[in-house]
Amino acid sequence: MQVSTFLANQSLPINIFTLDSGLTVIHQHLDSTPVVAADIWVKAGSMMEPESWSGMAHFLEHMIFKGSPDVGVGEFDWAIENAGGTANAATSHDYAHFYINTTNTNIAHTLPYLTDIVLRADIPEDEFYRERDVVLEEIRASNDDPDWIGLQLLYQTIYQTHPYKRSILGEVDLLMEQTPDLMRCFHRTHYQPENMTIALVGGVDRDQVIELVHENFQKFCIRSECPSFKIEAEPPLTEVRRHELELPRLEQARLMMGWITPNASNFKQAIGLELLAMIIAGSRCSRLVHELREEKGLVLDIVSDFAIQQDSGLMTITALLEPDDLDLVESIVCDRLWELGSDLVSEQELARAKRLLISDDTFAKETPSQLAGIYGYYNTINCLQDCFAYPALVTEFSAQELQHLARAYLSPERYASVRLKPL
Amino acid sequence: MASDNQKQSKVNYQKLDNGITLITVNNPAADIISGGFFFSNCGSLVEPLPKSGISNFVSSVIVKGTKNYSALDIADRVESIGASLGADGGTDYFALSLKTVSIDFAPMLELIGEIIQFPTFPDEEVERERKITLQSIRSQKEQPFNVAFHQLRQNMYGDHPYGQSSLGTQASVTQMSADDLRQYHQQYFRPDNLIVSISGRINDQEAFDLVNKNFGSWRPHPQSASAKAIATPKISTNPSHQVITQDTQQSIVILGYQGVEVADPDYSVLKLLSTYLGNGLSSRLFVELREKRGLAYDVSAFFPTRLEPAPFIVYMGTAPENTEIAIEGLSQEVARLSEIKLSETELQGAKNKFLGQYALGKQTNGAIAQTYGWYESLGLGIDFDLEFPQAVAQVTAEAAQATAQKYLQDPFISIVKPE
Repeated sequence: MQVSTFLANQSLPINIFTLDSGLTVIHQHLDSTPVVAADIWVKAGSMMEPESWSGMAHFLEHMIFKGSPDVGVGEFDWAIENAGGTANAATSHDYAHFYINTTNTNIAHTLPYLTDIVLRADIPEDEFYRERDVVLEEIRASNDDPDWIGLQLLYQTIYQTHPYKRSILGEVDLLMEQTPDLMRCFHRTHYQPENMTIALVGGVDRDQVIELVHENFQKFCIRSECPSFKIEAEPPLTEVRRHELELPRLEQARLMMGWITPNASNFKQAIGLELLAMIIAGSRCSRLVHELREEKGLVLDIVSDFAIQQDSGLMTITALLEPDDLDLVESIVCDRLWELGSDLVSEQELARAKRLLISDDTFAKETPSQLAGIYGYYNTINCLQDCFAYPALVTEFSAQELQHLARAYLSPERYASVRLKPL
Repeated sequence: MASDNQKQSKVNYQKLDNGITLITVNNPAADIISGGFFFSNCGSLVEPLPKSGISNFVSSVIVKGTKNYSALDIADRVESIGASLGADGGTDYFALSLKTVSIDFAPMLELIGEIIQFPTFPDEEVERERKITLQSIRSQKEQPFNVAFHQLRQNMYGDHPYGQSSLGTQASVTQMSADDLRQYHQQYFRPDNLIVSISGRINDQEAFDLVNKNFGSWRPHPQSASAKAIATPKISTNPSHQVITQDTQQSIVILGYQGVEVADPDYSVLKLLSTYLGNGLSSRLFVELREKRGLAYDVSAFFPTRLEPAPFIVYMGTAPENTEIAIEGLSQEVARLSEIKLSETELQGAKNKFLGQYALGKQTNGAIAQTYGWYESLGLGIDFDLEFPQAVAQVTAEAAQATAQKYLQDPFISIVKPE
């Protein structure tokens, strides 16, 4: 057994192990449930694609399900679902992850299927070309969804050098040039233990987890090396960068505004930005929802969101509205951001935002799969320890600190603005 | 899914003097309490065409003013303690829902008591939500699946309430008045129509005392009538094939078969067939049409649980040039269920999947409260939670085939595609 570093920390509800191979294991035992969630996170999102390989990370996620030398096509799906469980996967810029939900009586039988297809993906030639058609359908379906198009456009507008500008689904012409060999190269470069975290949460104890991990994480593929490339840091915005698109079938215009913020390594700032998102347009009482939806009736909906990402955070404000109101709404949003930088938020407003965030945090940690997802994600973007301090960090934020953050990052003069209008 | 080692929480069922049904599940696992407040004998199902969407309209305005609180007061009370409060005009019921950290449940129950018993439906809030609802009705048209499904629903159900979107129509939402909403409230919001379903870190007695304190003195409005049978228009039996042309990249193909209501003995068989066809990565449609032929990203089936006959749906999104292949592929897979007897492995696999996912679907307090409240509001009783999986487990290959032959013959077809 090669459990080398055991980060014993009595204050955390989880066990964290780092194996000699570099694989990170996160475990939490919940004795109130027979359900077990296993979630494998890999630092192999679309950010790791060489530019001409755009879409590879996501396409590989599809191909993982086509099996390994020991697990045939469809065998994994059947094994998990026939045991009453569920399986799925997702790819983002920062990660790909693969998860199952099963029970303590089935985990020993089902986990080997999951680890085998993830660690030793076969990427069969004929399956590769057939599955490419599925990915092309996924792209077509996404292109029929105006909100998806708007979000792609916002990322492209705000990021001009960093790979976050790329569509996770990839570009059709580049996808058509990819080959099973290139994909195997991507897999063997990135699906290695030091890039991987497994979170096991639920009705499974520490000894079982050590045994499961020991048995199932031995057979990594022989390493390969993708063409190297440098990830360029995104320079700060110095102006309002605009993009407008007219779409058929659009009934309501969209206004999407975005701000780049520091990366995940500054967790405290990230929490401050979450508080600001809540105060700006995160709830019914929030400033913009109250003013623009409830009082003035200028928007059908407006929401602000802060996304924590490995290389840069992203604050967004998105509104559904009539095309004629676009200018007015954008200028009101800017005025309100300016106020956030110049005046302190009230104690009542701050207290409300804190309670909402802390409740959301409690509500988001109810099931094994939710917990496994949170642990795997935070470890993948390198802030697992911080996520346990979340309620404490939220509680200690002051109005002054929020004002500084708003001033520093949410400028009404430097942001990206995307507008979708009916054709 | 192994139910033998599942720690079954006991479900407690009580009645208050004024007719309120109280269901409680003491689940101490998380520091959370969820509550569902279901009104039976209402929802979209009781909406005549000119009032189509009234349940949804009521759900958007009911939280925006009561005898003692303004819309802003209500939102502030909820958010100041970080709770969540929702209202939903469902197909066969009306429900409000509540989720709080345990210690905040009592004040929130007091607030929801006021919302349920004393809403005022202020004119200005009605106008605001009317405008937003009309915009939402338009926004539905932005998603090709919604367009195709709406067409299918109208062809299958005609003037029956299941033929309409729960949002209603431009015409009905434009016409309804604040008084219509008040009248809906008076008619359907009665203590003997109310089921309160609570799950979380709370015991049966605490729950009873709290509900009794906040709802115990509630009496039905003198002008309301107790539950009565609902007369709904006849459902179409003439399958149609309709196409809408739009500027899209994909074709959406939906096939709908006239199914049965939840009380029908064939309901659990159709539910299992729907699971077999469309649920998960090992489902028949996924394997045959996506995995083996690469025709679709999204291909699936669903068969909702309804008081009146529900549609049995299969669908996929595909490249426009594959539209005919998709119709053929979907209808052949459904037809196959009538032609052959499922193998023991196939049948058992579908059962395992159904039963496992059914159990996994009740992991949160919100889902537990929703399940029991919903079953009770449909008149099925909380034991349906045990009877339903048992019925599915007992389906035979012969029954599956006979049921397919009975219902899954001539589909209504709805297509959205580019020229």
